[in-house]
Amino acid sequence: MPKESENFFEELGRAAQLFFSAIWEGWLLFVNFLKVLPNIWFYRRQLREQIYAFLVKTLPLTAMIAVFVGLGAMIQGKYQSSALIPRTYVINVIFKSTILELCPIILSLVLAGRLGASLAAELGSMKISEQVEALETMSLDPVGFLVMPRVIAGMTMLPVLAIFANFLAMFSVFFIATVATDWISAKEFVIGLQMNFRSFELYFGNLIKPAVNGFFIALIGSYFGLKTHGGALGVGRSSTNAVVVSAVLIVFFDYYLARLLL
Amino acid sequence: MIEIRNLHKTFSGDPVLRGIDMDVLDGETLVILGPSGQGKTVLIKSLVRLIEPDSGSIRYDGAEILGLSKREFREVQKTISFVFQENALFDFLNIQENLGLYLRMHTRLTEEEIYAEVKRSLEFVRLDEEVLVKFPEELSGGMKKRVAIARSMIQNPCYMFYDEPTTGLDEANVEMVIDLIDLFKKKVCATAVIVTHDIHLMREVSDRVILLKEGKIFFVGNKEDISAKTLHTLYGTGEKYDR
Repeated sequence: MPKESENFFEELGRAAQLFFSAIWEGWLLFVNFLKVLPNIWFYRRQLREQIYAFLVKTLPLTAMIAVFVGLGAMIQGKYQSSALIPRTYVINVIFKSTILELCPIILSLVLAGRLGASLAAELGSMKISEQVEALETMSLDPVGFLVMPRVIAGMTMLPVLAIFANFLAMFSVFFIATVATDWISAKEFVIGLQMNFRSFELYFGNLIKPAVNGFFIALIGSYFGLKTHGGALGVGRSSTNAVVVSAVLIVFFDYYLARLLL
Repeated sequence: MIEIRNLHKTFSGDPVLRGIDMDVLDGETLVILGPSGQGKTVLIKSLVRLIEPDSGSIRYDGAEILGLSKREFREVQKTISFVFQENALFDFLNIQENLGLYLRMHTRLTEEEIYAEVKRSLEFVRLDEEVLVKFPEELSGGMKKRVAIARSMIQNPCYMFYDEPTTGLDEANVEMVIDLIDLFKKKVCATAVIVTHDIHLMREVSDRVILLKEGKIFFVGNKEDISAKTLHTLYGTGEKYDR
């Protein structure tokens, strides 16, 4: 009978093998995505449908998240600043932390749950009901038909959602700070926004970060969806894995992108 | 003609196909018969590379397909159609879109021309136009099977593959599927490979039969040559051989 320690190392080895093979398969999926990218016109109908799913269907959720992120940032900013700090500085900190960090990451994490899970479940149920194989017998590439439109939609629509969310978040900050509570004047608010302004920060928070996050949400969701096996239980497992892994990658790259680019 | 030589497939160390040698002749309906778990579905999916065999050779009209890249094989795939056991209709598309997808993706036909083809295929499987706006989950099992056959018809294939086409259907629908397989052979595609455990289906449609047992070919011949003893050996006791 094997010792417990042997079992432990055996399990560890198996887990490591699964981990590295998943990374390898994810990489292969990415390479296949790049290979089918030139055929984007061929799959334009699917792309249009995914753009609709990524943008229009998530807009109400995005709006709600954005408003409350803005309000939360405003309350925290007010609460944590002492009376000695000029309010324009506080607005500046709220602005930068909202557009650079809070809105992109919270929005991405919520959308990883909303889109990543549904994407993995959708492709997973297609996989177990042989619909993915049916695509192949119709001489259609599942990566081109299913994965590429989703990844492109994720990469292009998350920045659009982020721009909308950042605008809405700052508008709600403005509304509470100037109109509802009269904490700061509209003029001071604008001065706060303009202080130490770098246009790159707008690109970073509105375009770069959301595009990277959108890429991971769509690619990881597709990967786990296409790897699904084992019936309804497998679909549930794939959805969970897709959300967990994309959330981890989002926070991981949130840190590294900031280190690299800011 | 499809020539299969020394085909092997193993899953997690368990051999499922053990050196299959067989031919599918032009214009014939070949039925691969056997009880569950003998490797029938693995074999038919290997023939169209939905499952990659470990070793062996598959030649379509003399051309080896196992060495082809996925992209190269897609050209061969355009000559093949496959009816899945569970039909595999796309549940996010309605019936009209399901039927028109192949033409929309692979031809330059206009929407009107595609609609005409879709209607023609629907008439072929004796379904009303009303189903076009419905989604697969709104159809009965028999109707889904008919739509799956109609979708194959639209592809205008040279080789037709059916995976357990009568499984889960009631007697009336089984007869209807048998009729359609016959009609398909006469009007669309003469060469067909059918895997099934349904002896009645085999008796109705086959030109030649292969019996599969534990991943090996156990019998090749005409349906008339299959004795009750052979079926008994294959299925064990308790199986009805006559219907």
